[in-house]
Amino acid sequence: MQRRFPNKVLPYLLVSPSIVVVIIFLVIPTIQSLYMSFFRVSPFGDRLIFVKLYNFTKLFKSTDYVHSLLITLVFAAAVVALGITIGLLISVVLNQRLKGLNYYRTLFIWTYAISPAVAGTIWALMFDPSSGPIVYIIKTLFNVKLNWMMNGNLALVIVIIAASWKMLGYNIIFFLAGLQTIPEELLEAASIDGASSVRKFFKITLPLLSPTTFFLLIMNMLYAFFQVFGLIDIMTKGGPGNATEVLVYKLYRDGFINLDTGFASAQSVVLFVFVAILTALQFKYAERRVFYG
Amino acid sequence: MKKVLVFLFIVLLMTVALPKVTITLWHAMSGSRLPAVEAIVNGFNATHPDIEVVAQFTGSYAETLTKAIAAYRANDQPHIVQVYEVGLQTMLDSGAIVPVYELAGPDFDWGDVIGPILEYYSVNGKLYSMPFNSSTAILYYNKDIFKAAGLDPNKPPTTFSELYEYGRKIVESGAAPGGISFGWPAWVFEQMHAYHAQFYANNENGRKAKATEVYFNKDFGIDVMAEWMKWAQDKVLVYGGREYSANQAFLSSQVAMLIQSTSSVGSIESKANFNVGTTFLPRIEGYPRGNSVIGGATLWVMKGHTQKEYEAIWEFLQYVMKTEVTMQWHKSTGYFPATNSAVKALLDEGWFVEHPNHLTAFLQILSGTRVPEAQGVRLGNFVAIRDVVDSAIEEALQYTGTNYKKEAKRILDNAAKKANTILEEYTMIYGK
Amino acid sequence: MKTKKSKIVLTYIFLSIMLVVIIFPVYYAFTMSTFNSKEAYSFPPRFLPSTHIWENYKTAWTTVNMGRLIFNSSFISVTVALAKIGLSIMAAFAFTYFGEFKGKFFFFTTILITHMLPLPIRIVPTYDLMRSFGWINTYYALTIPFFASATGTLLFRQLFLTVPPSLSDAARIDGAGPMRFLVNVLIPLSKTNIGALFLIEFTYMWNVYLWPMIITNSNNMRVVQIGIKMLLASEAQAADWNIIMAGTILAMLPPLLVLLIFQKTIMEGFSLKEEK
Repeated sequence: MQRRFPNKVLPYLLVSPSIVVVIIFLVIPTIQSLYMSFFRVSPFGDRLIFVKLYNFTKLFKSTDYVHSLLITLVFAAAVVALGITIGLLISVVLNQRLKGLNYYRTLFIWTYAISPAVAGTIWALMFDPSSGPIVYIIKTLFNVKLNWMMNGNLALVIVIIAASWKMLGYNIIFFLAGLQTIPEELLEAASIDGASSVRKFFKITLPLLSPTTFFLLIMNMLYAFFQVFGLIDIMTKGGPGNATEVLVYKLYRDGFINLDTGFASAQSVVLFVFVAILTALQFKYAERRVFYG
Repeated sequence: MKKVLVFLFIVLLMTVALPKVTITLWHAMSGSRLPAVEAIVNGFNATHPDIEVVAQFTGSYAETLTKAIAAYRANDQPHIVQVYEVGLQTMLDSGAIVPVYELAGPDFDWGDVIGPILEYYSVNGKLYSMPFNSSTAILYYNKDIFKAAGLDPNKPPTTFSELYEYGRKIVESGAAPGGISFGWPAWVFEQMHAYHAQFYANNENGRKAKATEVYFNKDFGIDVMAEWMKWAQDKVLVYGGREYSANQAFLSSQVAMLIQSTSSVGSIESKANFNVGTTFLPRIEGYPRGNSVIGGATLWVMKGHTQKEYEAIWEFLQYVMKTEVTMQWHKSTGYFPATNSAVKALLDEGWFVEHPNHLTAFLQILSGTRVPEAQGVRLGNFVAIRDVVDSAIEEALQYTGTNYKKEAKRILDNAAKKANTILEEYTMIYGK
Repeated sequence: MKTKKSKIVLTYIFLSIMLVVIIFPVYYAFTMSTFNSKEAYSFPPRFLPSTHIWENYKTAWTTVNMGRLIFNSSFISVTVALAKIGLSIMAAFAFTYFGEFKGKFFFFTTILITHMLPLPIRIVPTYDLMRSFGWINTYYALTIPFFASATGTLLFRQLFLTVPPSLSDAARIDGAGPMRFLVNVLIPLSKTNIGALFLIEFTYMWNVYLWPMIITNSNNMRVVQIGIKMLLASEAQAADWNIIMAGTILAMLPPLLVLLIFQKTIMEGFSLKEEK
């Protein structure tokens, strides 16, 4: 059996609105920008010097960039792993039909309503090295002074926690929605057969949820690679030193703040190719393990 | 009676028949500064029926500049845009601006503009952008903590070694967990150079010709950095990030001293639960005297508008410089008033007696020596260089060894190399 | 399903602990919004609300003309969320029910890469484009460029792939056309995810800051996030955290409302396998 309607024109009509929007508003302006990666450009764009691959060679010769790449990998892996496992755990527990869980669900999901910039501000305040309440609590309980702006690794950890927290509401919403599509009879039948909750989770819930999990895997990854510059800008500005300078933040700084269009364009080409390959690999390999009903 | 009627008729005609000239101003003043800007604009519009200035908050300085650039390239630019001091060289080279001296009539009294501010934004003696929000760095301190630590609250430190000694006393006595904090580390580092008459870059800080080499990795820079590293290790210096954190630490009494912009005076005094003292920046012994340098932003006039609009713009810029207007601006924000007449008027009405902390910055900047080293640094892509220096300072503060100078030199040499590349790339586009 | 009592208790304990940890930032923002300007800087930090709630919210509301901002943000968020849902259902349907058609891979990747092209690097050309359309400072610029959704397309693709092929077969045998199948079968089946997506896309647009900042020029076109930025301190100022956090909490209320409306849909979407 196949899902298939024998229609030659309809699919084109169906995708065209999305495609038109993407091409006009995203692809064309991006290509215009990316073309700049072969130039040195003045901030006001009045001077253009063709420099061939200068921006790219500069990138690959820079030890900072390699360092930034490594940090990005650690950051993205941690954000995706944390976001998905904690999101899944909470959603499964929230999915039980128990009184009062509605309130919990609302509150968990609500955290997603904080904008990235505000989230960064709140986290920076909570973790302020001298006056932040979290730092204060940790100092009182464990007598450890959490001065993360004078410790690069710690700063990375805190930024990772903040970034995964920001995505948690998102993950919970989609996991909850996904869990609704798992038939309860299946789980009940398993219960009658004496399967433990843990077994049921791994044998039934997890496979049936895999389409959602795969979707979230891709989305969280794209988030971790591309959408965190606002958060980092407010929390650390890539510091201390360059301990939290992930690729997209470096790109944001060079392009947006330092007005170095050519160099930033080169960076975005590299970042784009890199993540496109990662995504393609996931579609190729990870999707094999997805169970589509 | 007839005369009055005719007069009224003319006024009516002027307001109704003449189309208003609209002037757009894009600025980055948020928080409590936003109403202060609006007050100026409303005051102007109320007294100039033929002109309407529309002020629009356009995000941070970086966002404002990017927006202005995008608009300029689409031929949709505002009339006036506020740009931070690190954007100075970018604006001068942009080809997108009209220098304000060209707008000014011959009778404008430039001598009245406060000297160091005028010099900072002038090229060959001609002013390019209108001073608006200028400030400098001073030392704030918490008198209550000083007392608790057994220090004289009316004798704040004047030198680096005094500051270190006081800091140790404060930490050891338990009066506060830290001695001093500051944000904007690269800016403070620049201040230190100017304050001790040290060039930050060649070609007289890039003011004679475009800078091609930075000097911050010379002996003086290394000395400052090594001191800071020692302070950090001994818990005298608590560093919490490039922006707000230092204010947090100071206002919650977690550190006793703060190096911060004078434009924070009002907001700090209103939120402090303790007696706030202010004084001059601390000095390192053995180096000459310079002056602290101007920071903040100015108003740039953009190209591509009509003669009539430029006349209106000049009308507005003159209004901003008016004694009462700039006095009010100083009172509600803490930024310098732009003119010497305004300082005199503030003095005459007793403002400084009631608000002595507002006076500190004037005394510091007007008592310093006016050497070329302290006129302000002009670098191509200064924003990027500041970022490099910020990172370098943060890296240095994490140092756990004891060979401060060697490590400071290594880090600063590395940063200087990056900064020189940035300068080289800038001259690649614009020539030397 | 019977659940043991101890398990129920454990559930509540676990959720409560997680909730405290996860909601703490919001709670902290809320307490901040009840302080006066000195309390906001007190140390040790205060964990209980104070009494200045009314004046802070009033100040936040009036300083930035919050009413207008909320109207604008609501309008663009609802418009964009609806358009995204519509367009992405159509696209996902095309990708899952028509076999391999020419260009399918290209179209799919094109939609997917929308998340990989960060705005900061394409501001200048996009501004130019908007200018040539005459869209500067209009609702068009605030909505239409956002209409395509990689999130939605991927989400519905995943969902449609789990729909048993027997359903479309049955439809085909009954002589129902693809559009009728989409409207009568697939869309009702997707109710849960439509609800979830609406919520996500609404919130996403609600939180958009950089683009509206660049593309609008007048107070009556500004959005909520710009309002919050206006409350934040500029440069070296000591921030009025109480006012800023009051603005933040105000800005979080409309998404909460949407959440409350859609929660039922998300939680009570029926299971499609029951249909078999």
